[in-house]
Amino acid sequence: MKKQFIVHIYCLLAGMVLLFSCKKEIGSLNGSTIEDLLANASKPQLNNVVTGTESGMRNLMDFYLDDVGMIGREMYRFAGSEPRYTTDLLGGGTAVLDNNTFYLTNPWNGRYRVVKNCNILIQAATNSSLITAEERKGYLGFAKTIKAYQLLLNLNLTYTNGVRLEVNDPDNLGPVVGHPESLTAIANMLDEAKTDLTGSTIAYTLSAGFEGFKTAAGLIQFNRALAARVAVYRQQWAATLTALNESFFDLNGAFSKGVFHVYSTGPNDQLNLTFFPQNSNGEVRLAHPSFATDLIPGDDRIAKATLRTSAASLDNLTSNRDVWVYTSSTAPMPIIRNEELILIYAEAKINLTQLPDAIVALNRIRAGHNLTVYAGAVTQAALTTEMLFQRRYSLFFEGHRWVDMRRYNRLNQLPLDRAGDDVWDKFPLPFTEN
Amino acid sequence: MRQILKQALLVFMTVALPTILWAQVPVAGTITDASGNAIPGASIKLRNSNLGTSSDVNGKFSLTVPGSGGTLEISAISFKTQSIQVSSSNATLSIKMSEDVGRLDEVIVTGLATSVKRRNLANAVATISNKELTGGAPAQTLDAAMNGKVTGAYINANSGAPGGGISIKLRGVTSVFGNTQPLFVVDGVFVDNTATPAGLNTVTAAARGGNASNQDNPSSRIADLRPEDIENIEILKGASAAAIYGSKAAAGVVLITTKRGKAGQTKVSFAQDLGFVKVRKLLGSRIWTADRAEALGGSNAARRAAIRQEFLDAQAAGKIYDYEKELYGETGFTRNSSLSVSGGGEKTSFYFSASQKDEEGIVKRTGYRNSSLRLNLDHRLNDNIKIGISANYINSSADRSLTNNDNNSVTLGVALSSTPNFTELHPDALGNYPRNAFSASNPIETRDLVTNNEAVDRFVTGINVDAILQKSGKSTTRFIGRGGIDFYSLKTTALFPNSLQFQQVVQGTNVQGFTRSLNANYILSLVNNFTPSEDLSFTTSAGITQEQGDYNNLLNVATKTVANQTSVDQASALTATQLRNKYQDNGIFVQEEVGLIDAITLTAGVRFDKSTNNGDANKYYAYPKAGLSWNLTNMSFWKGDFFNNLKIRAAYGQAGNFPAFGSKFTTMNIFNIDGTIGLLVSTLRGSPNIAPERTSELEAGIDFSVLNSRLNFEISVYEKRIKDFLLQRPTPGSTGFSNEWVNAGNIRNRGLEISVNAQPVSNKDVRWNTTVNFWLNRSRVTRLDIVPVVLGAFGNTLSTFMIEEGKTATQIVGIDGANGVVKLGDSEPRFQMNWFNEVTFLKNFSLRWLFHWKHKGDVINLSQLLTDLGSTTPDYDDLDKDGNAKGPARIAQVGTSARHFVQDAGYLRLREVALYYTFGKLPINFVKNLRVGVSANNYFTSTKYVNYDPEVSNFGTGFSTGVDVMPFPASKRATFHVLVDF
Repeated sequence: MKKQFIVHIYCLLAGMVLLFSCKKEIGSLNGSTIEDLLANASKPQLNNVVTGTESGMRNLMDFYLDDVGMIGREMYRFAGSEPRYTTDLLGGGTAVLDNNTFYLTNPWNGRYRVVKNCNILIQAATNSSLITAEERKGYLGFAKTIKAYQLLLNLNLTYTNGVRLEVNDPDNLGPVVGHPESLTAIANMLDEAKTDLTGSTIAYTLSAGFEGFKTAAGLIQFNRALAARVAVYRQQWAATLTALNESFFDLNGAFSKGVFHVYSTGPNDQLNLTFFPQNSNGEVRLAHPSFATDLIPGDDRIAKATLRTSAASLDNLTSNRDVWVYTSSTAPMPIIRNEELILIYAEAKINLTQLPDAIVALNRIRAGHNLTVYAGAVTQAALTTEMLFQRRYSLFFEGHRWVDMRRYNRLNQLPLDRAGDDVWDKFPLPFTEN
Repeated sequence: MRQILKQALLVFMTVALPTILWAQVPVAGTITDASGNAIPGASIKLRNSNLGTSSDVNGKFSLTVPGSGGTLEISAISFKTQSIQVSSSNATLSIKMSEDVGRLDEVIVTGLATSVKRRNLANAVATISNKELTGGAPAQTLDAAMNGKVTGAYINANSGAPGGGISIKLRGVTSVFGNTQPLFVVDGVFVDNTATPAGLNTVTAAARGGNASNQDNPSSRIADLRPEDIENIEILKGASAAAIYGSKAAAGVVLITTKRGKAGQTKVSFAQDLGFVKVRKLLGSRIWTADRAEALGGSNAARRAAIRQEFLDAQAAGKIYDYEKELYGETGFTRNSSLSVSGGGEKTSFYFSASQKDEEGIVKRTGYRNSSLRLNLDHRLNDNIKIGISANYINSSADRSLTNNDNNSVTLGVALSSTPNFTELHPDALGNYPRNAFSASNPIETRDLVTNNEAVDRFVTGINVDAILQKSGKSTTRFIGRGGIDFYSLKTTALFPNSLQFQQVVQGTNVQGFTRSLNANYILSLVNNFTPSEDLSFTTSAGITQEQGDYNNLLNVATKTVANQTSVDQASALTATQLRNKYQDNGIFVQEEVGLIDAITLTAGVRFDKSTNNGDANKYYAYPKAGLSWNLTNMSFWKGDFFNNLKIRAAYGQAGNFPAFGSKFTTMNIFNIDGTIGLLVSTLRGSPNIAPERTSELEAGIDFSVLNSRLNFEISVYEKRIKDFLLQRPTPGSTGFSNEWVNAGNIRNRGLEISVNAQPVSNKDVRWNTTVNFWLNRSRVTRLDIVPVVLGAFGNTLSTFMIEEGKTATQIVGIDGANGVVKLGDSEPRFQMNWFNEVTFLKNFSLRWLFHWKHKGDVINLSQLLTDLGSTTPDYDDLDKDGNAKGPARIAQVGTSARHFVQDAGYLRLREVALYYTFGKLPINFVKNLRVGVSANNYFTSTKYVNYDPEVSNFGTGFSTGVDVMPFPASKRATFHVLVDF
């Protein structure tokens, strides 16, 4: 009996050991990992990261445009279920900007996510032994250009609160760098990218948003256009003109020539979320009432804010015009386009006191929008006001007004709609960065 | 692998063939209660064997005992267990059972394969009997039926949507980002309780705003099980009781035992419920006047005049509506039928049930339907080997409509919050719904056209093998093998036709989710009972366990759809996302229980676990446990008879909580543009070194009975510590990630549980049993290696949860004027109590009721904020104590203080009240028993909380229950019951 029992036990233990001898490691089932890419990426893998970077640039841009648009008093964003657009962003009552709320954290994190992707691309292209040196330069130039642009957008939000530039190692982030220093670093990054793109081979395909700029030469033009924008932010007027000359700037060219975010309903593609149908209710974007009242009669840019069948109101704010810049859910959103470059040219010329050149550029804008030639005072001050006025309407809801007024210390000229409202000059640094 | 398992089983079965029987004694008897009434269904077991039977309807039983006799153990639910020596000279028995008010003789499962009587238990284990589950006022689903019945639990309904969705937290905060919900085990099978979102976020964009968590309001899968089939539920509340379940047991274990057949006459039972469900409470709406209407126009004169005119026209035409009542005020008809057949012979017994439930909701086109078939079979191969098989098929379907938070103003509640009652939302004569000028959607249209359905086909089956390998006078060794599979396929369908107001941009959306979930587990163990003398017994058990899970969710989102078509290919744009989870956990355990003179029980055990979800998949983590209970009244030195029973006890145990699948990887997500495929880094950073959380729990208590066991107390205190709790903490956004997995710190919970039950009245005419339970829990974050983490709501402006060292884990913080960000409340209830009563009177009547009191415990009420912003709150114009209109005054606080969002959500609720009548003499003799009854569920609630219900959770069952954003309103139920036994 006892012996038999021992036999049983042995059988059971033997069975258990058999069952237990299998070891298992289940890999990642829901996508490739960063490590897969950094090892020795193939050209298709690198191209995937390029496409993901371009695609990701569009993420959460609706929040960025709403932030800049509302604080710059270009428009109102009403949301039935989200009060903080009309309270925090406009400084309604005693409300202030919070450092841990969606209007800041969403666009901020969205841009740094692309920066991370650019850093992965840089590292993966550097590690890859499956590409030529020219191809590598093509990847690096693209990554650095986009990275610089993304950092610039975040710097526009936090302004003198700064941004982090060194973010490659998540466990060991670089310091938060102030406004002028960050701008300098962004300019240098663009210059570095230009050097990389020079003599490079482009082994990847960009979207239709880069139509005309898909070659190395085209990407350099795009890069220099961004460099011109950064140069005016830095008030380096001569450098601005140099950059413009190497960009796709064309004083007599189409305003819409440039680089865009494009949208589609394709799988895992995105829609332009800044689009709402005209006369929507509840969830709306409305032009600030001053948009129409300040506009010169006859200006065709009135089409950017169409009249509603009935006005919309929320929280003691009312407007009867819809924002109508992006007219469908697949309408492209500009990254930078010739109309801005013409205005940058005018701005540089004004500041270099080459006023006739500036007037030529401003009249080019005026004529393009069905207006008569400039007849105001030919002074630096008057032309600056005119330049900012044209920028306000030409670049309406493209993310500029607030930044422009801040650059010229004119935030106090923005209209306040309600007693107690504030015009903020910057967002706080996000809570998680402190 | 399964092949090996089969072979192993075969080996045991062949070698463990029965010992030959030399002689036998036929035993027969009758079992009655103290007043001589027959007790049917009592269990009669021969000690140290698998032999046993049960009493029939007349309390009679017969059993053949091998050898010259032995000891019979006779037990029945709510009666004290008796042991009787039988031999050929004592073969006809008449057994009188006495009532067990304190349930001291209830048998509690303490190991994977061992059990002990409550009398000797080292833990406070809560049990819910079938009578408590379904005998009162039955709730819609199993999870709801447990609410208010478990000492030490914080159970909270996420919303009133048909089909359930309930969070169960045992003994405070077990985890922040790991699993907070207990493990459910049905007859040895680990069942899946995943809540699978239906992809509504595509339309609501709820996760695009302040909180990226899921807000789709899915149901919990445990809701599929039928309460009628359940014999009893044991709740092992923490690691000290549940440690033997190892890494799955950190949040406790809910052990469900289903009904099984008993030898004897075949019993057929049929139960039919008919009833209705109504909204528990409507909030009402603002009373409109021309001036108030005009104010909606803001500062624009034309708009002001237009709205004023709209109101005046509506008023003149008598078209001021009550949209809230139209949406939520339906009376839903409910029916529930269940048929069960059980019986068996000496070797084989069975329990079969077929049931169907069909309930309408309080919103048109919502409802819940559940059909279930169950077959439980038990077969005794011989005197030593017993096999039990259970199989359950379930088909359920829930239509849940569109509620909860959203950022597109499309859910019923959010749209309603800004829609005044004088605007026209009803379809015109042609059936066209007017566009709602006050919101992005027309809620009447949404209700009538949107489909949000969850349909489940589920199969749960388990096998239980109990084989005696060795038997002698003093020692018995068994092999106990248990295992099974839980498979379901879940289809979620969310249809948004292109004619809807909010579908103008995307022109129709069709979201279909297909989920396939397969869970398999087994436990193989050896248990040895060694009884060297009457006063000493050892139970040694050892074994191995394995659990595997494979979850695959495919979500198809089609937009630009063809009108009236419901297939995803009837669309011009289709995007698919797939989410897969897979894991395998392995465990080894040993446990020793020592019983001394039926008074002292010592338990010690250890379990080793590994999991493929850990950073190191091959590393074993050890989880020990130990327990001691000392029943003083059973000691020889004990004198006096004031105490009928007095026990002191202490238990300690550890359990783990493995990281979620994939937490060790940082993946790349698919982000395309212009038809080219792209990779963008995920916002969630993985951690290659991620380790499981470790929960350790120390519990101590004293149990005593006085007044001839008619008054019983059970008092427990516990301390539960969670070490290295898992957290998805927000990373600095500049890392490129939004969150990362970390083992962040430690949390401590301390609590007190008191349970008193009594039989204040017990005579021939009236018997009253009453139970009062009291419990509370306090948590504290004792260590946090990272900066305080805000999580679980919408940021400081609207108040949120915050994990902060030195504070409670459930604190709610927010901005408060010049004070900055301060603590504004706590979601933990100050304490909870329940009061369960059963009175039987006039012989045939029985009345049961259950009160549940949750004292304090805050909810973040953002529904009120939305109605304030929409100027529709009922008290919008009422004056506060400073003479300001309340609505505008509250709005003025937004961005300045979040204090008014944090509201006391305590309540006193009559969860169940039921009156049943049992017919004594029946004219037709094939009907053995006929009962009728009426019941009401959640009919009375007293609360200060202003929105629909203090039980609410916008974020479902995770950590952050208690955020209120336009939920599906809670309902109350009334039901008429008929039960017939044949």
